[in-house]
Amino acid sequence: MIVWYRICRFSMVAITVMIATAAPVWDRSGAAGAPDMELGRYLATECMTCHQSGTATSSVPNIFGLTETRVTEVMKAYRDKTRPNPVMQSVASRLTDEEIAALAYYFSKSKKP
Amino acid sequence: MTDLTRRKFTVLAGASLAALSTPLFAPRALGQAKPRLVVIGGGPGGGTVARYVAKDSAGAIDVTLIEPLKTYTTCFFSNLYVAGFRDFKSITHNYDKVKKGGVKVVHEMAASIDRDKKQVVLAGGARVPYDRLVIAPGIDIKFDSVPGYSEAAAQVMPHAWKAGAQTQLLLKKLNALKDGDTIVMITPPNPYRCPPGPYERASMFAHVLKKKGHKKSKIVILDPKPAFSKQALFMEGWEKHYPGMIEWQDPKMHGGIKSVDPKTGEIKTDLASYKAALANVIPAQTAGKIARDAGLADQSGFCPIDPENMKSKMDANIFVIGDACIPGDMPKSAFSANSQAKVAAMVVRSELVKSRAFPARYSNTCWSLIETDDAVKIGGTYEPGEGKIKQASTFVSQKGEAADLHKQNYKESVDWYAGIVADIFG
Repeated sequence: MIVWYRICRFSMVAITVMIATAAPVWDRSGAAGAPDMELGRYLATECMTCHQSGTATSSVPNIFGLTETRVTEVMKAYRDKTRPNPVMQSVASRLTDEEIAALAYYFSKSKKP
Repeated sequence: MTDLTRRKFTVLAGASLAALSTPLFAPRALGQAKPRLVVIGGGPGGGTVARYVAKDSAGAIDVTLIEPLKTYTTCFFSNLYVAGFRDFKSITHNYDKVKKGGVKVVHEMAASIDRDKKQVVLAGGARVPYDRLVIAPGIDIKFDSVPGYSEAAAQVMPHAWKAGAQTQLLLKKLNALKDGDTIVMITPPNPYRCPPGPYERASMFAHVLKKKGHKKSKIVILDPKPAFSKQALFMEGWEKHYPGMIEWQDPKMHGGIKSVDPKTGEIKTDLASYKAALANVIPAQTAGKIARDAGLADQSGFCPIDPENMKSKMDANIFVIGDACIPGDMPKSAFSANSQAKVAAMVVRSELVKSRAFPARYSNTCWSLIETDDAVKIGGTYEPGEGKIKQASTFVSQKGEAADLHKQNYKESVDWYAGIVADIFG
């Protein structure tokens, strides 16, 4: 009885932890049509090379915690080449709308390492 | 407790154990070892892949980094150290944060790879088993590619193409020069680490000589190549900042490099002889020895990889990243190694703990400083295509650009350095 109770209690905790880990309440990336958080995390690894130590005033700025709207607007402007900087224009040139949305979602939800 | 209650408990427990049998927890729950990633080489490629796999697998993968040195001095920005823009400490990094990030760091030389047993053999004889191995051994110098040059000669005529003591020796010799002395640089044939690097170095030599007030000193570059990276931009910068000081010679101009003599400092080409007060000899290069000894290199001396995932074409359990691999259209650079490491990390996780896999994407930018606040850049994005890592887009600074744009490039490069070393070393 005690053994079963312990297994049960352990299992319930484990399930709770797993559910919490898999789907945080603020993460809408699993919802239909919502941005893909995992894709955003992967694409963002490219950004980390330069932006990881950025501050608000540095030439390569901090982009963690920006709003989805802001990241989307800026990346689309680089993609359209209406915003200068060849490095960023090159990075943005291959991003689809869906990928920009995923990146924007990721950065809006992420803190600087 | 009633039977019904007991059954409920049984169902719940069964469901819980089933839930636990995901890759994240199954090995522990079943008493099995975690999947093991071993990384050889703690530079831009190896440091990055170790840190990313440890971070993103959240402990589900056992990550070991094998790196003999306790500190790593970056080749990138070492030219800025030579010119006095950076101190040695600022380009030297330790592994403390790598360890804190969940990576086991073994400071010992990896002697060989036993591919059949999937083990790395350390210099002391210990064996480190792996499920997946990433090697990032960088380059080895082919000393005999320059007649008269040798490993011993490098103590007199430094190559300084592996940063550290060689770079410090180069600076010491540079600081000892008198006005009227000649620096002779022998640059490497393709492919080699950091294509614009030798020409940035020439610029930094000139910066130091100019700052010291030298009027008669010369820098002669003997190049085995007919052209080099960002050539028009470097030449424009040299003419602007150091008129008459830097003389670049292609093979048609020097006729071939015949010999170097570390005892006398004499360097002979087919058409001339130079007495070098400072000789900076950068020979041809090849993949790090451990990669070649393991049979991972082809006749080029570098390691062919699958552009979809950075896996060795010789062994599906081994990834080769950084300067040791054949990177298609990508240059051999720290940025490239860092980018390749992220693809390898993503694929390693997908294979060992079934995380999601995404199509490989790569990128690179190389900044080069020509004079104070005057930097140029080249770069691009890359994807698998035509059996190699193929360039998808590119950009390069243009001749005649405004000075403030080049100043901005320099600031950008400084920020990039801070970012990438944080990415590699934490």
